[in-house]
Amino acid sequence: MEVKTEQFTEAASTALQDEKIQANLLGLYGGFHQARLDASAATHNWEELQERGRAIKAHTIANLDIYLRMAEENVRKAGGNVFFARDSEEATRYVTELATSRGVKTVVKSKSMVSEEMGLNERLEEAGIESVETDLGEYIIQLADEAPFHIIAPAIHKSREDVSELFEEKLNAPRYTSIDDLAQEARRQLREKFIAADMGITGANFIVAETGTLVLVTNEGNGRMCTSMPRIHVAITGMEKVVPSIEDMGIMLRLLIRSATGQRISSYVTAVTGPRKPDDEDGPEEFHLVIVDNGRSRLLADPELREALYCLRCGACLNACPVYRKVGGHSYGWVYPGPIGAIVSPMLTNLSAAKDLPYASSLCGACKEACPVKINLPRMLLYLRHQLAEGANYPEHRTSTTKERLAMKVWRFASSSPFAMSIASKLGRLAQLLLPSDSASSSPIAAWTRHRALPKLASRSFRKRAQGDKS
Amino acid sequence: MSLFDTLQERDDYERMKSEDFLANLSRNLGRNSEGELTPDVATHLSLSAEQVESRARRVVDDIVARADELMDLAEHAAAEAAWNVFRTQSTLDAANYIRRVAQDVEARTMLRSRHSVLDAIGIESAIYGTGISLEVMALDEGRSAGDKEASREMLRQQAINADIGITGVDYVIAETGSCVLLPRKGVSRVISLLPPVHIAVVESGQVLPSLDELFTLRRQEFMDGKLGSYMNLISGPSRSADIEYQLVTGVHGPGEVHMILLG
Repeated sequence: MEVKTEQFTEAASTALQDEKIQANLLGLYGGFHQARLDASAATHNWEELQERGRAIKAHTIANLDIYLRMAEENVRKAGGNVFFARDSEEATRYVTELATSRGVKTVVKSKSMVSEEMGLNERLEEAGIESVETDLGEYIIQLADEAPFHIIAPAIHKSREDVSELFEEKLNAPRYTSIDDLAQEARRQLREKFIAADMGITGANFIVAETGTLVLVTNEGNGRMCTSMPRIHVAITGMEKVVPSIEDMGIMLRLLIRSATGQRISSYVTAVTGPRKPDDEDGPEEFHLVIVDNGRSRLLADPELREALYCLRCGACLNACPVYRKVGGHSYGWVYPGPIGAIVSPMLTNLSAAKDLPYASSLCGACKEACPVKINLPRMLLYLRHQLAEGANYPEHRTSTTKERLAMKVWRFASSSPFAMSIASKLGRLAQLLLPSDSASSSPIAAWTRHRALPKLASRSFRKRAQGDKS
Repeated sequence: MSLFDTLQERDDYERMKSEDFLANLSRNLGRNSEGELTPDVATHLSLSAEQVESRARRVVDDIVARADELMDLAEHAAAEAAWNVFRTQSTLDAANYIRRVAQDVEARTMLRSRHSVLDAIGIESAIYGTGISLEVMALDEGRSAGDKEASREMLRQQAINADIGITGVDYVIAETGSCVLLPRKGVSRVISLLPPVHIAVVESGQVLPSLDELFTLRRQEFMDGKLGSYMNLISGPSRSADIEYQLVTGVHGPGEVHMILLG
């Protein structure tokens, strides 16, 4: 997918002025966010689950090499194939060549964020293969030729009128006014595709290392369709999705689902181990698991950022974030929006180009509070800001100018002793007489004053006044 | 060159890829090689085979001893998960309930799995004279692989055309109101998926307290080499809230689901 993280400021301004997007974003807090709070409150041992889930993820990620090898061996034992892709290009090439060599004409896809990273649909289309998204939200997004707006509700920025117009234009459907009718239209359109498809592509919510099992959480049933109907099933997943034991799934499913939609469980949880067995009534003849790095090892290598790999992709931090709820998903400019996106996207794409994302946060901590595995998102956002400003770990991405660094040095000196402070504030009072008004773009500090007023220094400083009161 | 020119080339390439990939991860974790694994106590992988076995045995004893209580819990949870729940002691009532559902949705064709509980219910006599047909899934082994494929294709068509799919279950989970379906002879993945209506019939002793007990049993089955190629947890109708957060049902899977609890 094309990286547009550089355009954060413009995209956010546009979204803020778009009344329709603002209206549709309003539902998030009362909807998913509240549902999550209710679901976690109704789970008697929620805190214990969180601790346990976090400990499982921490242990698995710290031994990711071992657990991925275990997963690989067990998928192969079950008759499936495993392909490790270092980047999205390798993954795309594997899937496209597999489809071509098997004479695949139609692919049905269930939601996979990694395939969004890869821009897989476009590549399959280029190879002359029809690739259809089948999650209702993803289907809408694909017809509209847009990117997902939210991790679990990709088309939540569109109203029923928008969808109806889209279906009329792209599918020649009649004008519908009810959401039920729109869903039934999608059901009819996509049912034909499920029946015709030669290949089903899914993501994975979890990969169980011990058994080589893929676990999928869905509500519509499209995940079940993609893993049951076509003769080839390809699952594409980020390498962090591995979990040691099938017995850990109770904990992980509760954490994921209750944080994502607030349901006690989703309509469907599907576990797939390899292709169909000789005596099975149905199921795919071939099963392929594509495990993708695509920059994740950069998160793994940095101990400060490693916990970003604990993420279950539930979307709870998006719904909790006051910034996401105003600027929406597209502003973040790549696959993963919100607080987790502000950490993952820069590291998976290009930190310099995404330098605005770590600043798209008030550091209020709502994301950390919402996270089912207690990922310390504010700490990592702050860390990335520090690295961008003056840190030593990513020097090629440092963004501060010599002038800024000099200004900060002067500030550090000025505020380090009472004498320096009093001289500096005297100078400051003089200097502010020379500065043009806040609104002037010619001002040397225009970047600071464009969206805020520069506070005026009082004619008598606080220290002076405090001393005066004492005497 | 294509990745799939020859099987040998493909295998060699993939083996090289995975060694390369995993070695890179080891490096990023700050070690030279993968080393020995000691599973953390947080993960169930730290349990020994004996521990798993005794846990699984306890689960099995527990679900029999607490069968009535668990059935009550399942009845409640299934209703909360938006199943239409019908509880009865009588197989005749169950068969008549199925007939009423079929008549309500004006079904012409029903397809049922070969779960033995369905043999006991006698759906055939309940629908006798209604004009509704009932097909029973049967994969014909045939004399060649081709015969079996043809039979598979026929089963698939049956499921595509059926108005109602009827199955037994392997388990029900009281915590979540889910029914669990595993691969068995005469049960397909799609019988509970393609028809717009699904009816699941549950027997006494099949209800597990929570997801944890399910996965303990599944782990024991895995250790016994009986994991199977799939497991479906079904918890109410197919749902979506992708447009305006409004809940709609029956998007791809069944929009109407019934759970008959016998006992």
